[in-house]
Amino acid sequence: MKKNGVKMIKINSKNVDVFYGKKQALFNINLDIEENQVTALIGPSGCGKSTFLRCLNRMNDVIDICRVKGQIIINDFDINDKSCDVVRLREKIGMVFQKPNPFPKTIYENISYGPTIHGMAQSKNEMDEIVETSLKKAALWEEVKDRLHEPGTGLSGGQQQRLCIARAISVKPEVILMDEPCSALDPIATAQIEELIDELKKDHTIIIVTHSMAQAARVSQNTGFFHLGELIEHGSTDKIFKNPENKKTQDYITGRFG
Amino acid sequence: MNKNKEQLLNKRYKAEKRFRLYGQGAIFMALLFLTIFIFKIFSTGYSAFQKTWLIVPVTFDAELMMLEQNPSKEDLKDADYYDIALKSMADLDPNANEDQENELKRMVSYFFEREIKRELLNDPSLIGKTKDVYLTASDDLDQVFKGNYPRDLPEDQRRVTDYQLKIFDQLVELGKVESKFNLSFFTYPDSREAELAGIASSFMGSIFSILVCLMIAFPVAVLAAIYLEEFAPKNRFTDFIEVNINNLAAVPSIVFGLLGLGILLAVFQLPRSTPLVGGITLSLMTLPTIIIACRASLKAVPPSIREAALAMGASKMQTTMHHTVPLSMPGTLSGTIIGLAQALGETAPLILIGMVAFVNTIPGSPLDPAASLPVQIYIWAESAERGFVEKVSACIMVLLGFLIIMNLFAQIIRHKFEKKWS
Repeated sequence: MKKNGVKMIKINSKNVDVFYGKKQALFNINLDIEENQVTALIGPSGCGKSTFLRCLNRMNDVIDICRVKGQIIINDFDINDKSCDVVRLREKIGMVFQKPNPFPKTIYENISYGPTIHGMAQSKNEMDEIVETSLKKAALWEEVKDRLHEPGTGLSGGQQQRLCIARAISVKPEVILMDEPCSALDPIATAQIEELIDELKKDHTIIIVTHSMAQAARVSQNTGFFHLGELIEHGSTDKIFKNPENKKTQDYITGRFG
Repeated sequence: MNKNKEQLLNKRYKAEKRFRLYGQGAIFMALLFLTIFIFKIFSTGYSAFQKTWLIVPVTFDAELMMLEQNPSKEDLKDADYYDIALKSMADLDPNANEDQENELKRMVSYFFEREIKRELLNDPSLIGKTKDVYLTASDDLDQVFKGNYPRDLPEDQRRVTDYQLKIFDQLVELGKVESKFNLSFFTYPDSREAELAGIASSFMGSIFSILVCLMIAFPVAVLAAIYLEEFAPKNRFTDFIEVNINNLAAVPSIVFGLLGLGILLAVFQLPRSTPLVGGITLSLMTLPTIIIACRASLKAVPPSIREAALAMGASKMQTTMHHTVPLSMPGTLSGTIIGLAQALGETAPLILIGMVAFVNTIPGSPLDPAASLPVQIYIWAESAERGFVEKVSACIMVLLGFLIIMNLFAQIIRHKFEKKWS
């Protein structure tokens, strides 16, 4: 989205290095993410795109041996700074994982969990409303409205993934990170999720890691290409796919490796 | 070439067949041993659940009982029953001399006085009347009636005299000997007299010990497991702790008994022979079992659930308490029950802390002296009287029954509530 012709930058990463123990996984990543756009991160397996994604909500903290260097600035605030509160950060930056991972609880409880721990609803009515709007936004409401109190794990794979998306948006995050959200789904479910992503970008900034170049081309406005821990090229999806500057990018996109 | 191949193939098939045979043989052997074991226990033990009673006419003679006219309830309680009890036994043979009267008295348990008293307290109108009263037969006659007693031994080698046998046979003929369900086996405490010995004291002792053990071991073990698994940094020190927890699980139980003796009794001066000390000692043994079970089931919760919660902005503590721990509970609980079942069957440490003492009262709290079921088995197995042989097997049956129920419960929890992760 452009305001007065200037791109609005939501996330600004500067010189990000990531190490797993002694092994360096990411080298000096500088990438700007535009607000209310879908940014796709592509690249062959093990290129560090998921690692970069997990830097953005500091999920790498969970891994003991992982160290992150450099600055990641969101809303003028460096999230790698000591003063950054991870719980607050993750309230603002939601995440959807590769494999659908609903809590083994009811559909309702899956959605209400985030709002509950962040104290976002004062009453049962308010919570009901949050659950309903989240499910509607995730295009799941019609399918589950009569069985909100049945276990979320009983849904189909595609429904589970939409449930996870609904869970992520229930706390109204500014950014949603998606780590190969369709890799465990069939083509129909994939199409539904892609449609949903397009819808969601009105309210959220979306960063999606994907293995499928076709998917990147379909859903994203911007694309970043990672290879061996380096960001080789980034820019508008149109340009990356039609007119890449780097030889490696071109080879990857044309299917010569990866 | 081709022939060689065929031979090789045949050889492989034969090897497989042989292996199957060995496996089936092994299972057959295991089942055989188990069947023999269970058959032996049941065949010796089942008779302990029956008890032999002599039906003796008792005349409630107010004068002999030193009762005034219109006695109050208190008077009835304080009355002297010994003389009428003695008299009713002596009356079984009007021609008995003094020695024989003594032998007649020993045909019933020394509780006969109490049994007669209970009869009268139940129905005070019996004063002056005669009624047939059920009296517990002595353990030797009990065995005679059950057919376990070698009657053909010479008289000087058995504890039952020819005279007693004669009277007993007369009573049997008259239908005055009856076998009924042995309720007192469950309601009476231990006794030196086999016919009066029951498992109530050791049963309660076991229950109290297990409760103390549960209340100490469960919270400590679960907290330790959660901390180690979810919060503690993974470094050499925590590795060292983990190795030592596993070592602790392999320490022989008698060592824990010595620990209880040396520290709980000697240093802290806790009361000897009590379920409190027994329970604390057992909890030391159960601790590593529960920690290992709890950690295993925490490990089994997929990381994706933790990530889902963390990514929603839950703190580490919330992730653990809202998601990981509840999901690990079925495994933890079944591990706990199995640990408690082990503790329930433990004998050695309890003997060392003095729970082997002869206790003829039923403990009302963990601070009263008590035995425990396995120790009771040990005590009875050491006793010489024939009447205790069946009691040992019966007590084993009760203990095994409990262990089976507990293990079944653990299995049910595991299968019913444990989440299956695809």
